Amino acid sequence: MASLITCPHCGTRPKEEFSIRGAAAPRRPSPAARDEVWHRYVYVRDNPKGRYEEYWHHAAGCRRWLVVDRDNLTHEVFGVTDATDHLTAEAGE
Amino acid sequence: MALNLLHRHVLEDHILGFHGGANPNHLSVVRRPVIFSVLAHAGREGQVREALAKAEDIAIRACGPSEWLAVSQTAGAEHVAAQLSAIPGVSLAEQSDGKVLMAIAGPSVRRILAKCVAVDLHPDVFAEGQSANMMCCHVVANLARTGADTFEIIVPRSFAGSVFEELTEMGREHALTASFLDA
Repeated sequence: MASLITCPHCGTRPKEEFSIRGAAAPRRPSPAARDEVWHRYVYVRDNPKGRYEEYWHHAAGCRRWLVVDRDNLTHEVFGVTDATDHLTAEAGE
Repeated sequence: MALNLLHRHVLEDHILGFHGGANPNHLSVVRRPVIFSVLAHAGREGQVREALAKAEDIAIRACGPSEWLAVSQTAGAEHVAAQLSAIPGVSLAEQSDGKVLMAIAGPSVRRILAKCVAVDLHPDVFAEGQSANMMCCHVVANLARTGADTFEIIVPRSFAGSVFEELTEMGREHALTASFLDA
């Protein structure tokens, strides 16, 4: 596991300060979406090997949700962004 | 306000018995600090930060983006609340009875804290006046550098005993002493 995460607000911190929620790629369906869609969102998740984006909560620091772009095979961290910035950047694309 | 919690300090049982004078490395516990949690409303972060910097008798500790702790050892809670609530775009909550403020100072302070936090506290990196939330002795704490070799730690009241014990344990090889500030 990547042991040092550079938080955009707090700087380089050990992984013990964070809690991990899971993949950042799936988008939450609308509340009115069909049950199958919700089932897929909640239970059917990929378990990729390699580079992927993940939600990390900086619980012991700034208490912000971050999106960590990392490789779960080589433990390399490519980038850390605030989840809000990540969403606005995605919306802008 | 839970005043009865303030009458007896949570670390009272940890600092018992005879104590000699303070050694060069010393941990002092502030008995009744005033601590407010301050949040800026969306879009007002910059203005609030500037206004907070101007507040008198109040030390501002950074917690995260648009979140701060306002600490005062001299002013009363009413005075601090009045000053803070005069700033537009601010939400605040008093935390005085929920937080414990400790100050650790001395020539070996960085070597002691190196065993408690995983943040680089080198004088060139962690400047005087700088502060941040970090894990200290497995507890979420706010650490601030208030002097050349002085750091202030704010921890939740219920964890203060454990943090205090661990700090004094880590400071034992440096002959760290501990006492209340007014004692």
